Order: sequence, then structure tokens, then C-alpha cells
Amino acid sequence: MIFPNEPGRPSSAHDSAGDVDLGRVWTSVAAEVWRRHPGRLERTAARLLRSSGLARALVTAPSLLLPWLISTVVVFGAGALISLGPGQPLVWLVAPAVAAVGIAFAYGPGIDPAWELSSSCAVSHRMVLLTRAVAVFALNAVLGLLASAASGAAAALTFGWLLPMTAVSALALAAAVAARSAVVGAGAGVAAWVITVLAGQTASGQLTASVTNAHAYLPYLAVAACCAALVIYAVRPERGLQ
Amino acid sequence: MNVVLTGVHRSFGKNKAVDGVSLELGTGVFGLLGPNGAGKTSLLRMLATVLPPSSGEIRLLERDPRRPAARREIRRRLGYLPQNLGYYPSFTVVEFIEYFALLKEMPSSAVPEAVAVAVERVDLGAKAKAKLRTLSGGMLRRVGIAQAIVNDPDLLLLDEPTAGLDPEQRVQFRALLRALAETATVIVSTHLVEDVGAACSEVALMSAGKIVFRGTPDELTARGAGHGVGDAPLERGYSAVLSAARS
Repeated sequence: MIFPNEPGRPSSAHDSAGDVDLGRVWTSVAAEVWRRHPGRLERTAARLLRSSGLARALVTAPSLLLPWLISTVVVFGAGALISLGPGQPLVWLVAPAVAAVGIAFAYGPGIDPAWELSSSCAVSHRMVLLTRAVAVFALNAVLGLLASAASGAAAALTFGWLLPMTAVSALALAAAVAARSAVVGAGAGVAAWVITVLAGQTASGQLTASVTNAHAYLPYLAVAACCAALVIYAVRPERGLQ
Repeated sequence: MNVVLTGVHRSFGKNKAVDGVSLELGTGVFGLLGPNGAGKTSLLRMLATVLPPSSGEIRLLERDPRRPAARREIRRRLGYLPQNLGYYPSFTVVEFIEYFALLKEMPSSAVPEAVAVAVERVDLGAKAKAKLRTLSGGMLRRVGIAQAIVNDPDLLLLDEPTAGLDPEQRVQFRALLRALAETATVIVSTHLVEDVGAACSEVALMSAGKIVFRGTPDELTARGAGHGVGDAPLERGYSAVLSAARS
């Protein structure tokens, strides 16, 4: 650790004009050597999101391995849920909630090791969560597009679930950035998705299919119970911190 | 005053973690002492705006953290080292500190130099490009201290900062605290009485969620006169105040 008269200290009145502040020189050199040069994606994201912190959260999301794996499994699981219940509007409405809860859990207080630190930062951790959601859907959509060349099922999942959800989460993030509120962004995303699903069901005359099919009740209740359990777990008071 | 607490309470279920704490703090190093479960960490988490109080009023840096805009401004000027520092194992030291500098909304152009200064201040220059998963516990603690000071905070909150540091590093760390406290309010929660004696200008002792003593380290030492428990004078003062509070 350093103290006055060592690297990093401000110049003092005791420095004579001819003296070279080696500490400052070294810090400047170190800053240049250690400087990380953001890629094009991160620079673009920083401009669009008006935040270098959110841009960094976006590009580092896949490097947090455990949260990434959990999120991806949940997102694909929600996609499978949709393929199991085609034509059921409630399935279409519940699936994004399942995916959102999964991502929030994986990158939230349940798993993210640095959640406590993030919660004390100026960039809202809810905004960071929205950014992570965009990263999860977008990267999996890209992978889905690549897999679509080889598999029809992958194409169905990608075009029927991953790409629309990428668009919805991106819309939510854009609204959040514009309104400077993650809650507004999430609301905009949910509204857009609900309008899209209900409009589609109304056009095809299947709006009541989900509530008239008694066989669908049990899966709905199971999914709702799982979501509630995850939310309760994610927001539980931490132990040993009194 | 950078910190003003008025009748702050925080409960977890039936457990009163913080029970009616009132404090006013300006610049300097303020030590928070107390046994396990005394409420130190909960108090620090409330000051870090991570945990809202159940009741009472908190003003930080002359702002009300309940208001979103004020909370954001407070967080820009806040440094916080949690008791259990979570970290991303795949990040390097520099990447981790830089990430939190950006989340604290430091201007991007100022970040590289600020990160370099913070890394050098905790003497981790040789490990700047090392992945966090390769570091020892003491080094990780220093990474935590570096991310806390990277934005040159006006309010610095450190929960057990010297845990895992060797004696030489602890001596250096106390000097770093004194240097930072010339312009900032530094609050250090610790079990280590010798850290308080060496670095703090003022100390508070918590027991069962309440502040049972507040004064200078010398005043705490004086409370231990004639008290037999403890090896060092300050420890005797600590034990004497705690015994009195419990009885």
C-alpha cells in the first residue's frame, strides 16, 4: 500500500520545478499498460445505453459462467414450454415470466457473488438485470440462428421464441434507458408482449382456449408455484448479516 | 456532517438488529466495535444504501437516500467493502475494479488512471492482470479495498477490512485509512481492537443493536482502568463497557 510520497499521490508544494514526480509517471504508465480497450460492441452499447457501466455489464454477462448456464437452461426450458402448449395464450404469457424470473435469479442475489457490491452502486442493479436479460436472449438467439441451418426444431425455437424475446427485452431496456427507470422498462416490455400475444389470439379466434381447456390448469398452477418459490427464495433475508 | 442517523431501527422478523441508533459523523476514521450479532454489519449496510431502515431517518452526504436521485448521487460518492466480498473469478484485478468504477458512474476517461492509483495504493501492481480466482484471501481483501476507494469516495464504509491481511499489511492499511480520512468520512467495522486504537479518531461500541459507548480510543481505554479482562488497555476498556451494557 502506498502513502504520501509514493506512487499515486498528488504533486506537493515540496516538489521543486525540476523534479520529476516518478510516482505520477509510474501511475500514468501503469494506467496505459493495464488499460482495457473496449471492443466495438461495447463502445456502441455505451453510446446507446448512455452508460459505460451498463455496456460493460452487457458484454460480460456470458463470462459469468454459472449465472449464464442457469439463465440459458431456463430460457430454453421456457421455449420448450411454449412448444408443448401451442395455441395456449396463458402459456405464451407465462413463459416470458418464467424466463425473466430465471434470469433475475441467476444474475440476482441468489447466485451473483457481487450482488451486494452492485446494490451499492449508482447504476441501478435492476438496470443491470435488464441488460443481462438482453445479453442472454440475444446471444442465444444468435446461437439459435446458427443452429437453424441444421435443424428445423432449432429454427422454430429461434424464430418463435428467442428472436421475439430478444426484441421484447431490447424494447424494455430501451424504454428503461429513456425513462431512467427499470420498472418503466419492464412494464413496457410486458405490455408489448401481452398486446402481441392477445392480438394474435384474437385474430385467430382462440382467445379463450387457455381457460376452457381443463387439462392446462395443472401445468399453469405448477408454473405459477415455481415462479413464486423462486421469487421468495431470491428476495429472502440474508442470514448471518445482522 | 456526512452522516446523520436519527433513531434508526432495523428488524429481521422479531430480531432487532439495529435498535434506535443516532449518530452524527464528519470527516475522520470512525471505528465501529462490537461482538458478533451486535448490529454492526446491518448498520453499515444501511449506510451503504443496500438495506433500508425499518424506521428512523438517515441522511448521507447531506442527502436523503430514500429519494432515487439523491440515492444515486450518494452512491457515486460512496465506497463500500462488504463483510463477504463476492467477486467474479474470471475477472482480472483491473477488470473487477474497473467494472465497479463504471457502475459508480465515474467518467470513462478517468477510470484507467483511477484504477491504476487504486491498485497501487493496495500494493497489487504485480497482480494487476491476474485472474481473481488465483489470488489469496488477503489479496482478494485488498482488491475489495481498491474497488471501494477507486472513486475517491467522500463516504467510505469498510466491514472487517483487515480480515486476512498480514500484520505488515495491516499497519500499512491503517496509514492508508488515515490519509483517506483527511477529506472523507471513513467508517470501519471490526473485531480487532488494535486496529481501532491505531487508526481511529473516534469509536463507537455496539451491543444488541444499540450504541453503548461513543468517544475517543483513549476514553474507551480509560473505561478499562481496574478491569481485569483483556490483554491490552483498549481491550480492557472494550470488555468493561460491554460488561456494563449487558448488566
